[in-house]
Amino acid sequence: MPGTDNQSSFLNRISIRRNQVVTVENNHDQEQEDLELFQKHVSERLSELLPTGTPTHNNHNNDLPPSSASLDSPSTDSSTAIPSLLSISWFRKLLDSFLCCEAEFKAVLLMGRDPPQFCKPPLDRLIPELLDRSVKALDICNAVTQGVELVHHWQRLGQIAVTALNQRPIGEGQVRRAKKALSALLTSMMLDDKETNNSSSHGKSAERTWSFGRRGGNATAANNGNNKDRAAGSFKSLSWSVAKSWSAAKQIQSMSSNLVAPRGAEQSGLALPVYIQSTVLVFVMWSLVAAIPCQERTGLATHFQVPRNLGWAQSMISLQEKIGEEWKKKEKKGTVGLLEEVQRMEKLALALVEFADSFQFPLEDEKVEEVAIQVAEMAEICRKMEEGLVPLQLQVREVFHRIVRSRVEVLDVLDQVGKMSSPVPY
Amino acid sequence: MDEDKEKPVPAPKKLNSFAITNDNDDPNNSHDTTDDKDNLPPPESTTTAADEGDENHDKNDVDQTPEEGDRDQIKEEGEEEKSDEISVLKVEEPSPLPPDLGKVSEEIDQYMSTMFDDESVHSDVHVPIFVEQFAVLVEAKIEDYDGESPVKWTDLKDEEAECFLEALTRISKLSISLNKFSSDFKFAYSINRIGGVLQRGMSYLEEEFKLLLEDHRILDPETESKPPPPNSVSEQEGEGEECSVPESDPQEEDKIKEYPEEILSNLKKLAKCMILGGHETECRRVYFMTRRTAMEESLLKMGFEKHSIDDVQKMHWESLEREIMTWIKVFKQCMDVQFPAERKLCDAVFSDKPSISATLSSHLCRGAIIQLLNVPEAVAMTKRAAEKLFKFLDVYETLRDAIPAMDKLFVPRTVVEIKSETTLIKSRFGEAMVIIFCELENSIKADSAKTPVPGGAVHPLTRYTMNYLKYACEYKDTLEQVFREHKKIERADSGIGSDFDYNSSQVQDQNVAETESPFQVQLTKVMDLLDANLEAKSKLYKDQSLNSIFMMNNGRYILKKVRGSPEINSLMGDPWCRKRSSELRTYHKNYQRETWGRLVQCLMNHDGLTVNGKVVKPVLKERFKNFNAIFDEIHKTQSSWVVADDQLQSELRVSISNMVIPAYRAFLARYGQTLTPGRQTEKYVKYQPEDIETYIDDLFDGNAAASAGRRKS
Repeated sequence: MPGTDNQSSFLNRISIRRNQVVTVENNHDQEQEDLELFQKHVSERLSELLPTGTPTHNNHNNDLPPSSASLDSPSTDSSTAIPSLLSISWFRKLLDSFLCCEAEFKAVLLMGRDPPQFCKPPLDRLIPELLDRSVKALDICNAVTQGVELVHHWQRLGQIAVTALNQRPIGEGQVRRAKKALSALLTSMMLDDKETNNSSSHGKSAERTWSFGRRGGNATAANNGNNKDRAAGSFKSLSWSVAKSWSAAKQIQSMSSNLVAPRGAEQSGLALPVYIQSTVLVFVMWSLVAAIPCQERTGLATHFQVPRNLGWAQSMISLQEKIGEEWKKKEKKGTVGLLEEVQRMEKLALALVEFADSFQFPLEDEKVEEVAIQVAEMAEICRKMEEGLVPLQLQVREVFHRIVRSRVEVLDVLDQVGKMSSPVPY
Repeated sequence: MDEDKEKPVPAPKKLNSFAITNDNDDPNNSHDTTDDKDNLPPPESTTTAADEGDENHDKNDVDQTPEEGDRDQIKEEGEEEKSDEISVLKVEEPSPLPPDLGKVSEEIDQYMSTMFDDESVHSDVHVPIFVEQFAVLVEAKIEDYDGESPVKWTDLKDEEAECFLEALTRISKLSISLNKFSSDFKFAYSINRIGGVLQRGMSYLEEEFKLLLEDHRILDPETESKPPPPNSVSEQEGEGEECSVPESDPQEEDKIKEYPEEILSNLKKLAKCMILGGHETECRRVYFMTRRTAMEESLLKMGFEKHSIDDVQKMHWESLEREIMTWIKVFKQCMDVQFPAERKLCDAVFSDKPSISATLSSHLCRGAIIQLLNVPEAVAMTKRAAEKLFKFLDVYETLRDAIPAMDKLFVPRTVVEIKSETTLIKSRFGEAMVIIFCELENSIKADSAKTPVPGGAVHPLTRYTMNYLKYACEYKDTLEQVFREHKKIERADSGIGSDFDYNSSQVQDQNVAETESPFQVQLTKVMDLLDANLEAKSKLYKDQSLNSIFMMNNGRYILKKVRGSPEINSLMGDPWCRKRSSELRTYHKNYQRETWGRLVQCLMNHDGLTVNGKVVKPVLKERFKNFNAIFDEIHKTQSSWVVADDQLQSELRVSISNMVIPAYRAFLARYGQTLTPGRQTEKYVKYQPEDIETYIDDLFDGNAAASAGRRKS
């Protein structure tokens, strides 16, 4: 069809590329080699995310001077060091790895392939499933972007507390100011739980939070009788949602429900990279949802399981186990998400609110020091958030765009090949 | 250095100002503020001290940073304060509650202005009692407003509110001043005390600020007085302009419609006081959260509903179409009215702090626009289909037209972000539309129905394609842009994708881009494909005349559509139209020759009719019979043929009449009387010329039976 050549050349590009390679005979070995390489790379990239021996949530001290003399300075937080599991920098690394895997996957899938394969079993089923999964991943990216926004909001509240409690002498006013911010922080975190875990209460909870206003909140307040500030005037957290009744957990579930490892002869074909990349995709989305405040995630832990016997997936399996355990631990009491910084922020906020409740002026020196340490830690978390959240958000966006683009390219190939046996859900 | 200069002076000052403090109840002085220079030295104060101070100040102005200058100003005022200390120290023991906040305020002002004079002065002096008195008074005031039954800000009288804000401003300044001595233990109690009261006051302000923002929105005028025009499917022209019309009203533009003037001025005051009190973060947060909710509410009110990308992919086009129409309305409303209004409001509330207002409103609008952009993002991903072109064009135009306004709404970093997102989505629609056009081509190529349209009428494919193109060309400029951009992307793409050679076509593309409009090329291609398809379809008619009628009908339809739309007409150009017209004439001639040539032939061919000047009757009879038979046959078949276009119909009839009637008339005139009048004439001269005319007028109606029955039986 010479007529459409200059119109649809971005479609044809792929075919040109493909045809060139296809002409090379004996490319089956090359294909096999590509597949093995892809598997190997995925496995390597994932293993770089494994924490080195240090138990989860305990290595956040790596910014403090280490007792044992290690040569590489830990405070530089350089890319050589493995960031602690579920921290912002860990997620940035995870997303980097994902983007690499994705690029390689696309190359394996689209380049040097025979397009008619796409409409023969098993790809005729696997490709539409892949496309469907990627659309769901896009919604999760959007939800996560909003979640990051919420974390950013918490950071600002934390920062108020830091500013207030860095004043000397620590006076009642400052303590109450800090407490107010921290209560708002904790309420927002708690609300987020409620909202995310109970989507039916969506509208109601907004009203309820609004009415927090004048009093209440502080009823349990302090012992010095002077604590008459208005309550934290908590706002409904960030209410931009993906859509009414959208559920991150359900999306994860439906993304992973049809994820089946290829067997027999399929293992040597394109079914395998499709499976691998899909698994990586679901894993990345699953851990994002687990860590970052997200709309509705009840029962998340059970929604994603990787078969234990896959060679390339060993690192992912152990990461998945670790995160799954964390999730189960936290889920019972409701969780704001497993993001390390948020977890620490919540703990510190609780501790500082407790401090505020028992505050009496003037403060003894040792108490001052004790608080100073906590405040410094809070300040450190705020700093990490300040530095990390925007890049993280941009990266999530990058993932979003990448998925969209790949989807378009796959669709273009499908268009070329023509009809598929199962309807394409695009 | 300055300190040195001043040092010799204090002794006389003290004495002078001490005298003044005694009659300091003077109402003129009771409302002064530290930085209000006019109120500084009371006119009756000793000239020496005032002059010295002024001189000092002038000198300092020259070589000091503004901050230091301020401090000097405070010093000037402070001439009186030392005496206050003395007086206060004297009354410290009895400590009666001073009934008058004004007086204490004044003492506080004076105190603040001297605090930094000389550390040694304070080293052995306690914080004066009136600091505590002031704390008690302000606290009592806060308790009045924010106690068991809180008083709403709007219920306060103007003077009360003014006075309260003044007290809080004073206490903020006092707190800042005291904090400079935070290392000095003897200040600790007061710092704590004042800080506590300040916090309580700020807390009250924060809540009131929030309530003002929440409770006093005027919801109706904005959304209901100017409802955006209902988007009808075809009136794409009006949409853009009508929406922006209310915007351009210069009087309306500067007014903030969402809050009454008086509430605005209160918001402004509260914000100012909170920021001064060090509660900028809280103030911004309250503002942000409240306005965010307000914005979300107005989006909902405008009918905006969120859908996940997943859901959008599964939606039926009809529902999606409705969503898109709502989206366009909402998005335009936001860009034209809502967002600029948000910016204006923010500017008004934080008029002293443009940086705050810029960031805040940018952030607010960013949150909303990201939500809004999700819709086209998801729509662009849906399966392409020809019928989506027009909505896609609408979305494309909406996005395109929104981009320039973004500079004014967002802070630079966000401008970059939002613009690139918008551009990206826009380009996705562009590509989708290019593909839709490809698919139009394909569907024309693929249309190969084997049954001809009865009567040689306009083929549905012609109708569909032409109407589609006519609509599409109403977006001519946009499509032009789309195809041009696509060419650019293609070229850029080919540059990046280095793993294959694309250079040859790149050069080609460039040449094309320079010489002609890519959309015109596209349109011509579609037309050519349609022609080729019709040509093939015409072969389905065994009858050559019907073939011509079919080509005429379709050709006529195409030409009429092209001429009827200035956009297509200009794209296809006059030469094209002329060519088509002449083609039509050819078909017309072919038809005339094919059908009527035969008939006229038997009238014109006089061979054998006369022998030696005498008419051969049997031949003449045969000729008449022949004529009648041919004409009957033509009439029978062709009155079921269809020429829907009135003009073409009458053109054909006229040309047929012109060809047949005169010939027949002449033939009749010449041979008619040869036949014996009566039965013979009746038998052979079946038709009078008028009858022929009437019958010709019956042709191409598409309903043979009816007309035959109507005329003659």
